[in-house]
Amino acid sequence: MSDVIVVEALVKHYGDVRAVDGVSFAVRRGEVFGILGPNGAGKTTALECIEGLTAPTSGRATVLGLDSQRDALKMKEQIGVQLQASAYFNYLKLREILELFGRFYRLRVDADALLAKVGLQEKANTVVNKLSGGQQQRFSIAATLVNDPQVIFLDEPTTGLDPQARHNLWEFIQRIHKEGRTIVLTTHYMEEAQALCDRVAIMDRGRIVALDSPDALVRNLESPYEVRFTVSGAAGATALASLPGVRGVREEGAGAFTLHTADTAETLPALLAWAAHHGARLVKLEVTAATLEDVFLKLTGRALRE
Amino acid sequence: MKTPVLPLLIIANLKMSVRNRQALFWAMFFPLIFVGVFGLFNLDELPTTSIGVIDYAQDGVSAALVRDLESVDNVKVKPRTDEALARQEIKDKKLKLLLVLPAGLERSVQQRAPVGIQLVFDESDPVAAAGVSVVRRFLAQENLRFTQAPSVLAIASEGIRTNKTDYFDFLLPGFIGMGVMTYSIIGLASMLAVYREQKIFKRVLATPLRVSTFFTAIVAALLVIAVAQAAVILLTGIFLLGGHVYGNYLYIGVLVLLGNSVFLAIGFIVGAHVNTVQAASGLGNAVAMPMMVLSGTFFPTETLPPILENIVAYLPLAAMLDALRGVTLDGQPLWHFGKELGILAAWLVGTFVIAVRSFKFR
Repeated sequence: MSDVIVVEALVKHYGDVRAVDGVSFAVRRGEVFGILGPNGAGKTTALECIEGLTAPTSGRATVLGLDSQRDALKMKEQIGVQLQASAYFNYLKLREILELFGRFYRLRVDADALLAKVGLQEKANTVVNKLSGGQQQRFSIAATLVNDPQVIFLDEPTTGLDPQARHNLWEFIQRIHKEGRTIVLTTHYMEEAQALCDRVAIMDRGRIVALDSPDALVRNLESPYEVRFTVSGAAGATALASLPGVRGVREEGAGAFTLHTADTAETLPALLAWAAHHGARLVKLEVTAATLEDVFLKLTGRALRE
Repeated sequence: MKTPVLPLLIIANLKMSVRNRQALFWAMFFPLIFVGVFGLFNLDELPTTSIGVIDYAQDGVSAALVRDLESVDNVKVKPRTDEALARQEIKDKKLKLLLVLPAGLERSVQQRAPVGIQLVFDESDPVAAAGVSVVRRFLAQENLRFTQAPSVLAIASEGIRTNKTDYFDFLLPGFIGMGVMTYSIIGLASMLAVYREQKIFKRVLATPLRVSTFFTAIVAALLVIAVAQAAVILLTGIFLLGGHVYGNYLYIGVLVLLGNSVFLAIGFIVGAHVNTVQAASGLGNAVAMPMMVLSGTFFPTETLPPILENIVAYLPLAAMLDALRGVTLDGQPLWHFGKELGILAAWLVGTFVIAVRSFKFR
């Protein structure tokens, strides 16, 4: 069995709010699976249904073949869960919390080894609220490891962290992934999904609107590249639109243009030839690949972060 | 290797309670602050009533009256000559009462002719009103003496309490009840609100730990704290402030555990209905403070209107304090308090059921 998580037609309504509105997907063993979407898309609710924390209105989820509702206790033995912005007991030291959480699984854990894994070995006798935001997130990842789980859920692990702390956390996530664990994470940072995830489900308004590897999602865009430049002299949008490969032209004003193209190898030489022919000078020429941000925009008509 | 979780979880809860220095301080010392404040009042002695006397008679009977009045407890006689000035002293609250003995008192007594003795006082002063009844009783006695009527009915008063107790000894169990109740209701409700606010419940729910185990550990730890609270308050009261306890300490422990179990169940109910620490503290106080006052923590409930007195006797704190005082003041055994124990047991069952039904582990 290569699918460790199977989600089938999951629905969760809170009154009239359809937080999760019919979601199905499967997570393969050993992959990092991302759920990307804006705040309020239903990512956390979907995750909590899978973790057995919330009872779905309909549909079901299984983790390692165990039903999230019927076999909840057995299933919880096998998974590690980090909640979004969850705290730990205020008056216990890090080592004590990990030993206590280990005992929740009826295990004796080596708390110091776990702390060392996330670079917090020197904080063993510190309380949680004396840690920085990044350290707290690292600690909560260490806490998901007390039962040595094969499947780990991380809900917005880097939200609220500065870029350096975020990159630092990515390293720790990649490290525990390399130990052979399957990781499911939610995020609203497309860089995070792109950097960490083998596959990404893009979620919006309770539904999954696309699911593939980040590269494939971008590649499948009609025009996955952008060519931006400013041109001196006369230039017509109509002429630019007829260049090979170009799928769209956007005039940004003051001679600035953005071309959306399916194939930069075709478009660029043609663009340069066109400029030479008209005696126009191209300044600030740049070529960029589209991102998941563009994918989201394309799929939903809205920006990821609004 | 499989290891039991409950002992470590109880120890963790105790550590958390002890390390929460502020809450612990209030649990232990808030009642002691009350002890100190009440210690400032000299509550066992009645205030002295100063009575001015104007003697227009100046004869043997008036002299005898004044002499007898001086021997009455808590009365200070102040001779006055100018009636107008003395009346002003009443208005200025320098004198509580003014007794005016008319001229020709001795002759009236000899002739057995009724004579009016005037008693002047400020009606708005409750202490003066109490003084009036003292003087009335005194005059009635003197009347009998002067008319040489035989004393047919004599009161022989006999105190049956053999232990030497005072008001502070009455207060001491009250402080224990108040201390464990406020910590259990307000402290527990606040803790539950923090756990909910910070998603600690949810985090625990993501592990295979049973919810019942989690709460059993909280209750066990808080019962240990309650016994420690009672011990600190009792020891401070006895050794530092001269209080007396005549009963069995084991009975006191049993009553503290039983009463505190009810308060913890109430704490869970309060904690089930609040989402923030502030709300927990507000609702907890709204439950705990009226109960503290109505249950006779500081004053005997006999001073309440009879209907109310009968109702408040069924409050858990009142039942706990009644039994506790029976033990500490009279040295009675626990089984003399069947009614109180029954009331506490009924509360425990009722609040436990409501707590389990209303609490959402979220």
